[in-house]
Formats: sequence, C-alpha cells, structure tokens
Amino acid sequence: MSLRISTAPHMHNPLTTQRLMQYVFIALLPTAAWGVYAFGFSALLVLCVSMASAVCAEFLWQKIAKQPVRVGDFSALVTGLILGLNLPATAPWWMVIIGAFFAVIIVKQLFGGLGDNFLNPALAARAVLLASWPVHMTASACVNPTFFQAGVDAVSTATPLGAPANYTLMQLFLGQAPGAIGEVSKAAILIGLLFLLVTKVISWRIPVLMTASVFCCTMLIGGATPEAALAAVLSGGVLFGAVFMATDYVTSPITPWGQVIYAIGIGLIITLIRQFGSYPEGVTYGILLMNIATPLIDRIPRKIYGVKKEAKKA
Amino acid sequence: MLTKTFKRGIHPLHGMHEGKGPTRDLETREYVSDTVVISMAMNIGAPAKPCVKKGDHVDVGQVIGEAQGFMSVPVHASVSGEVVTVDQIPSLGAGNVQAVTIKNDFADSWVELHPLGSVEQVDPKAVIPAIQAAGITGMGGASFPTHVKLTFKQGATCDTIVVNGAECETHLTADYRLMLEHSTRIVDGLRAVMRALDVKTGIIGIEDNKPEAIEAMRKAAQGRDGVSVQPLKTKYPQGGEKQLIEAITGRQVPSGGLPIDAHVVVLNVGTCAAIADAVIDGKPLINRICTVTGCVRKPSNLLLRIGTITEDIIGECDGYSETPGKVVFGGMMTGICIPNDQMPIMKSTNGIVVLNEKQARSKDESPCIHCGRCVAACPIGLNPYQIKVAADKSDFAAAQKLHVMDCILCGSCAYECPSRRWLTPSFKYCKDHITAEAKAKAAAAAAKGGANK
Repeated sequence: MSLRISTAPHMHNPLTTQRLMQYVFIALLPTAAWGVYAFGFSALLVLCVSMASAVCAEFLWQKIAKQPVRVGDFSALVTGLILGLNLPATAPWWMVIIGAFFAVIIVKQLFGGLGDNFLNPALAARAVLLASWPVHMTASACVNPTFFQAGVDAVSTATPLGAPANYTLMQLFLGQAPGAIGEVSKAAILIGLLFLLVTKVISWRIPVLMTASVFCCTMLIGGATPEAALAAVLSGGVLFGAVFMATDYVTSPITPWGQVIYAIGIGLIITLIRQFGSYPEGVTYGILLMNIATPLIDRIPRKIYGVKKEAKKA
Repeated sequence: MLTKTFKRGIHPLHGMHEGKGPTRDLETREYVSDTVVISMAMNIGAPAKPCVKKGDHVDVGQVIGEAQGFMSVPVHASVSGEVVTVDQIPSLGAGNVQAVTIKNDFADSWVELHPLGSVEQVDPKAVIPAIQAAGITGMGGASFPTHVKLTFKQGATCDTIVVNGAECETHLTADYRLMLEHSTRIVDGLRAVMRALDVKTGIIGIEDNKPEAIEAMRKAAQGRDGVSVQPLKTKYPQGGEKQLIEAITGRQVPSGGLPIDAHVVVLNVGTCAAIADAVIDGKPLINRICTVTGCVRKPSNLLLRIGTITEDIIGECDGYSETPGKVVFGGMMTGICIPNDQMPIMKSTNGIVVLNEKQARSKDESPCIHCGRCVAACPIGLNPYQIKVAADKSDFAAAQKLHVMDCILCGSCAYECPSRRWLTPSFKYCKDHITAEAKAKAAAAAAKGGANK
C-alpha cells in the first residue's frame, strides 16, 4: 500500500484566490447594474469591452510568454470590470481596449503578473487614459433623463465636484448625479462593501479609514462644514475607490497598522489635490501614490512574540 | 466562563466541532495486538540501545532499550512475550531506527514494580529520576524527555507549572477523554512535579469547547493547594507552548529561549498522567490513549500499547472506510504522514487520522496576492509571505533576519493561504537548514580549537 507523504498542515481553509476574485466580482455587480441602469446601453458596452479586452490581454500575454494560463482565476476579469466602471459611459471603444491592454500587460504582467504589480492596474490605466484623452475622459454623461434632475447641466461637468452645490446629499448618495459608470451610486457601492465585509474578503480598515480621512481632512484643511465634508465624501470616486480600489490586496499594505497609515494617507492626498491641485478629482492619484508607498509601509516592523525592542537594534 | 487566549490564530473546522465530533463522546477502550514493534528512537535526543536479543522472554515493563546519556530515556516492553527480532525499521524522519519486535503471549505478566508511594509522602528528590526511569517523554507530540525539561540550568527559577489540556489540534480527542476518565491521575502527576520542583502554582489550561473536561478537572483539583483550572478560548494553536504561556501567565518566552526563561514549565495532560503512574505505581510508560478517526469505519479512542502497528489499529476500527490517501500521526495541522501502515505508534502518537485520496492530493501553489491572511493568522507576529520570498530564493540569512527561527511551525499561515502556498514546509526547510549550519559551524570551531591545542 502506498500512502502520500507531505509536511503539515494537511488541510486548508476552502477559500481560494479564485473564490476571492469571484467574491469581488459579485460585489461589483450592484454598482455595475446601477451604472447600466443610469447610463443606458453604452455603459453596458463599455463594461463588456473592458472585461473582454482585459481577459484577452491576459490570455495572449501568458500564451506568448509561455506562462501557465491563469485566466481562470478571475483576476483579469475583475481588473477589466473595475476599469470599465472607472470610465464614463461615453468612452469610445478603442480607448477602452487600450486601457484594458495597458492595465493588464504594462502594469500587471510586465512587472511579474498577479501579485507582483506595484500599482493597481485599473487605476494606472485610468490615469494614463486621463492624461492621454482628457476630453473623452471628462466630457461625460449621456445621462438617462428620467434619472437625473432636470436643469442640471450634466454635459458640462463629469463629476459633481465642479459644482457640488447643484446636488443634494441624497442625490449624491443614490447616484442621481453624473460621473464614471461605477462611481455614481454610493448606495450600490455600500451594498458591495457589505458583501465584501460579510464574506471577509476585506477588512473594514481601508474603506472606513479612507473615507473618514477624506471627511476629516476636508474639514481641517478645507475648512468645510460637516455637511460640505460629507458632500466631498459622496462626490466623485471616493467611495468606489475606498471600497474596490484602495483595498486591492496586491497594492495595499499587508499589516493592520500599515493599512491604517495607507488609508489615512490616501484621504489626505485626495483632499490636498482637490483643495490645491488643478484637477477637480484626486482619488486616482491619491491611491496610486499610496500604492507606491506600500512596499515601504510593509517594512515597518511588527511586534514579534518574545522579541524585545533592544534585540532588534542589535 | 472567563476565558483567556493569545493574539491572532485561526479557527480550523470551526462550526464542525474542530473535527472532534465522531470521537469526543466515545469512551476509551483498550486494544492489545498480538505483535508490537517498539522503536528505540521515541524521544528527541539520543535513541535507546536495545538490551534484549531474539528469543528472550520479556515481561511487561521490562527495560528493552537502555537510555544513552542524559538526553535519552529507556524503552520498556509494552507486552509480555518473546522477542522475535531486533531490527531496523524506517523512522518517521530520515533513515532507519532500531526496533524490538515482541510476540505477545497475552499473559500480561509484569516485572516487579517499585512504587514511590503517595504524592503527599514521596521524596521530592526521587521524582525526577523516577520520571526518567519510566521512559517518559512529552506526550503532546514533541517527545522531549520530561526529566530534561524538569532539570533546570544554573540560576533558572520556576514559579508555575502549566498543564496543557487545550488539545487545539483538529480531530483529536485523546486528551479530552483522558481528562474525563483519569482526571485525578493528571492532578496527581502535576502535584508530584510541583512537589519535586517546590513550585506552588499549577494551572491546567483547557479550551472552552470542552466544558465537561473543565468541569471534571475542576472537581479533581478541588482541595488541592495551588492547583487550578483555566478555561481558554477555542482557537488554534492555543495548545502551542508559547501561546499557552502567553494566555495563562501573560508572559512571553524570549526569542530563542525556553519556557523556563519565562519561569514556567509546560506539561501535557498525558505526560502528567504518566508521571502519576510512574511515581505512585512505579509503572513505566507502556501505553497511551490514541484517537483513531477520519476515513475509518469505526472512529474510536483506543488505549494502545506503545508499538502497536497501525494496520492492526485500523483493523480494530473495522478497517478503512475509503481508499486511504494519507495516514497522519497526530492532527491535521501538525501531524506527520506515515509512509505505510506497518508503522508502529510511539509514545507521542496522540491520534491517527486517515485521509481519503481527495483530501490527500497536494495542491499547486499559485502566486501570492498579498491578501494578508498569513499575517493575520501568525500567532508569533511574523510576516510569513516575506519569509516565503526569502525561502524560495534559499536566502537563509534574509529568512533569519525576518525571524524564521521564531516560527513554531503551527501551520496557521499555510492553512489560511488562498493561494495554497507551502509556507510552513518552506519555513521548516529554512529552520532545519539554519540549525544544521549552526551545528556544523560549532563542530568545525570545536575541531579547530582542538587542533590548536
């Protein structure tokens, strides 16, 4: 009789990488559904083109580089969906494809593939698209007229950040304001957050502390009233970024205290850009800059059982 | 119930009674086979040397292997009968070990025993030698010679004996049954050690998924000065020596040190019961309780003679219920796989878990996604994913800097890893390599020193 031999442990938590990615995908669905509902068929088209291109890019790269094909792990699909949700519904198809290929091949695969990229692929692609075709990226909104309040000049401004006073907090919360496909409905994003927390895919730290940081920094630095600070949290991509992009495992710190520093840092940078920068929106760069700081944050030593501070210096 | 615990850790098979369901309510029954194969290497340190030969008649409790020095314990016959062979068998580690095979005559004739008397009267100085003579090693799995643990280096002091009844490993119920069925023995063994070391406090730590055991041990400890029971949170690795000490005393064992450096000695409940047998009855360690579970038709808690062959034990449990893929000595988190079912049980074999083909299949590693589950799990506070990067490059210096030597190989990180990365096996490889390197260096230095003289 032959028995298998291996080193302990002999069992695992049933949760796998693939399952985690599937959970993230599911958590994104309410947001995507709202986006399609609000912006119509063109939004669906953007999302589908983005997902298909991301998966194709991953598949082609792994074939060409003669690597094991890991498209089945859902990570490229999630990247594609997040990128799509970050784009306006009016984005031309060729720009979506370029964005998806850039995200998967340049940002992810060229740096070693899943787990080795230092920037969030979808966000880095968004930043590149924003720099390359600012008009396509910001002149948004084929707004579903039944949805958005009449009299709002939706075409002239991509996000309510240009004129936040035009929207009530409730409109911002429910997503009755223009913006990128995924970032408009905060209610749908919170459903996704709840799902991610219940399934323990992410911890509360990054999303909660990042939004809290935006809120506090807006009050402290911008001198805003609590209501205006809340509007700042509900405007633009803060919530979407906090729930789905800042929490990206690969590019966020691994230790609990590291996550605290990271989340607060993102909120601070967003506020600084919004208050003093030339862009109305700072979520993309806030997260990308803290992505870059992540390897450094991860080097902050942890308290190890039985190891005294003096011993560390030696 | 006020429970104590340590930081981080995991909950394997939570909501499934930690896999203990099939055996926890089964009373221990004795099984004696007609042949036993008794290994001479059942303790950490020097193996014993066989002192019987083919054809000899032996009685139960007769010394068949003599201890080789201080870091060694004698081995005793666990049945009476004729020595069939003195031969080599494969060890659970690398290479072979000597073993004595005895054909049982079922007479159960014992050698003459020399009891030391009751715990209240025993000469404190006689306890530790009796423990060595009885061949007692740590029965929780580590097999460290108990008398060595109880002999302190110069200047070391001990103020608390912690008894480990946590049984945090999945599937195992051997310690649980022992605590229910032999609670007084455990307390007696603890008191014997407290008397020998002149220690006033003895604390028995038990996870709160075993309320009946907490109750039974509390009853047994009643009226015994200094002995108390501490309920612990059900969390793996609660029974790890360092975690147990942290939970019960709030102290930490210094990095690279031993529990005695935190003024604590930790003994498993099984070890305590064996000490009681050795002191009060003069009986050497010849049997133990072992949980047999997993893919067997009749999961059981068995009282087995040391050296009983796995195949016979599985037979006693009505055979395999599925084609076995892996047979594990110990629990699922830290157990050791046996190469075939001809392996005999040892003094430290607290369980046999049979896995089917599907459970036994090894999973391929996929890339680390930095999810942080290993970091959240590590009871020591290490960054397992970083150590793994160093280990994959065989960069032992880097691994050492990341404190791989503080890793207790509990398997929590590898259990949680969604990418199925072989974290714990890599760390074991690192630790073994670093230890071997240090040893070689010391040996080389000693040789050089000798040459200079």
